[in-house]
Amino acid sequence: MFIQQTMDLQEKLAILADAAKYDVACTSSGVERKGRPGQLGSAVYAGLCHSFAADGRCISLLKILYTNQCVYDCKYCINRRSNDVPRAAFTPEEVCRLTMEFYRRNYIEGLFLSSGVLESPDHTMDLLYQTLWKLRNECGFNGYIHLKAIPGADPALIERAGLLADRMSVNLELPTAEGLKKLAPSKDRNRILNPMRQIQRGIAAQRQGLVPYYGEERNAPCRWARQFVPAGQSTQLIVGATPENDYQMLTVAEALYKNYDLKRVFYSAFVRVNDDSLLPALPGGPPLLREHRLYQADWLLRFYGFSAGELLSETQPNFNVLLDPKCDWALRHLELFPVEVMTADYYTLLRVPGIGVRSAKRIAAARRSGRLDFPDLKKMGVVLKRAFCFLTCGGRMMYPVRMNRDFITAQLLGEEKRRAWDIGQKDSYRQMSMFDDGFLNPAPEPEDRYSAALGQL
Amino acid sequence: MMTIFTCADSFEGILCGVYDAWMSGLGHENVCLELADTGNLRLFAEYRQAEEDPKKAAKVTGAIRKKAGQEVYERVYRASLSCEEQKADRIYRFLVCALRIGPEVVNMLQLPAVYELFRMNRFVANEALHMIEFVRFSRTDGGILFGTVEPRNDVITLMAPHFADRLNAENWIIYDERRRSAVIHRAMGEWIAAELPDDSFREKLMESSDQKEFEDLWRTYHKHIAIAERTNPRCQMSHLPLRFRPHMTEFQEGRA
Repeated sequence: MFIQQTMDLQEKLAILADAAKYDVACTSSGVERKGRPGQLGSAVYAGLCHSFAADGRCISLLKILYTNQCVYDCKYCINRRSNDVPRAAFTPEEVCRLTMEFYRRNYIEGLFLSSGVLESPDHTMDLLYQTLWKLRNECGFNGYIHLKAIPGADPALIERAGLLADRMSVNLELPTAEGLKKLAPSKDRNRILNPMRQIQRGIAAQRQGLVPYYGEERNAPCRWARQFVPAGQSTQLIVGATPENDYQMLTVAEALYKNYDLKRVFYSAFVRVNDDSLLPALPGGPPLLREHRLYQADWLLRFYGFSAGELLSETQPNFNVLLDPKCDWALRHLELFPVEVMTADYYTLLRVPGIGVRSAKRIAAARRSGRLDFPDLKKMGVVLKRAFCFLTCGGRMMYPVRMNRDFITAQLLGEEKRRAWDIGQKDSYRQMSMFDDGFLNPAPEPEDRYSAALGQL
Repeated sequence: MMTIFTCADSFEGILCGVYDAWMSGLGHENVCLELADTGNLRLFAEYRQAEEDPKKAAKVTGAIRKKAGQEVYERVYRASLSCEEQKADRIYRFLVCALRIGPEVVNMLQLPAVYELFRMNRFVANEALHMIEFVRFSRTDGGILFGTVEPRNDVITLMAPHFADRLNAENWIIYDERRRSAVIHRAMGEWIAAELPDDSFREKLMESSDQKEFEDLWRTYHKHIAIAERTNPRCQMSHLPLRFRPHMTEFQEGRA
């Protein structure tokens, strides 16, 4: 497609926002930074969400591509070379202007800048670096910047760009090398992992105070001492484009957290934007429930002290459709329950379904000064609907509960959902019998699927 | 018979009420604190008006800081911004506990008085955070950023420090439409809180605004960043309830 020279900013923004939206990372967290006198911006450790789009995803950063022209032809990507879509490119001035004016009006928390590969990875990375340099040094922007590292770019460029950005990310996209070879033939797994390793080493060197100093140079990344990628790095995995199961996805994520010190792994339900025979057909739309379960499990890995091997295994490689991963785990480990609220340690409390990080902390703080009962737990944010089967207060349970899987599963699901459960998960938790009522159960209604997808279980 | 002390709806007013009720010597169970002008009077009770006096308020804050610490003081301040009618009495009941127990009182959610204050404090703090995220400024020709909010609780004083730091080189005003009050910041200077009962200044400000250009650009961006295949208005609604939307640029109609 011929590139119009006279495209106005409105059209460019529409095209390049459209092109960037399939990247899911949109958090502005990980760094706390006060404002600088005379400059624009600050950063909040927990991040801020300034708006929510019609798909319910948060809008924290101005998420745009520098250009959607690309030399690659990845099957899953809307911007692949062989697609006939309108192409556009910003100039560094336009990106700076948009960022500054949006930020000033409190529309955004910062900039998320990514790009298609224009000419070569080095050329593209240099353009991104020039843009950030201008934004930081000429415009005096002190807000959050998330920058994509372009795989295959010169490490020196990535290092300099890292001194201007708060967070950097390289997208792994597909969890296995075979998947990548099939869908992104011109990309190579090592070329993705190399910059990831480089950024990890840069962050580690930073901690030991070994930051390169460019202060005297004219085009130095920053005129004041800045940190290298202070908010850490993240990556993204596409869910459902290749036949990997949840167990494989989760072990890859766990390995990334352990070996590459990633702050976040994002999961993106695959949206079939290209008609390609190598891509799976998804008649039910993007695999949103699967994405949801992966995020739940990801939280369990990062904040609850679970490991991937506890949640899933070779023999049970996919998440339960009807139960969240923590309930599912608890049902398989009933021998550990019920736990006593007054004496269980923090990490044991965290493993109880219905208790989260905040409520566990509140319980741990409150029980020092007196006895707790179930109504008190409710005040502290415990979801008793799930937790009551697994807890005792002062040695008593809330209701008489039989500690067997069928009973508790039924309690957690409700009788209605239990029917759908019986059909999908037949024999998983109990033996078939001659008089089993399984065949009398109706099939799940469309409403059931809908509410399962929305997570209202 | 219950003695009810009425006090003004402000942090200082409530503290003066606390002081009078406490020092009346009638016993905690025989006194009650109410905001003045709530309109509803009880039959078998004696009403007394708490007199406002900065010295009394200072004595109470001094006692809170000394016996219960800064954390408790901040929580009481935030609770005093709440929109709930019974906040004065709740603060009183909480202070009865707090001054007896000390700083660790904030963790004792099993006590009803502590829980009520915790709840008010959480509501106010959460709303302040939402307003920090969702307030939208429009820029006048003179370079003043003007944002209108309509929070349930009186949170603009909690928003001001964030923006004074972040937009330190800008002139900005955050106007609370419900209470007709504002926080005003001068570039590179301090911020102040002000009552603005006459809102004719707004029209004056708004007529010279704005570079609609960026508002249109923002609406374009907001529309295009959503993935059509994932459309989920209920999820959007639970994160961004409708009550915030009237003042947000992206949900306002553009210039056609």
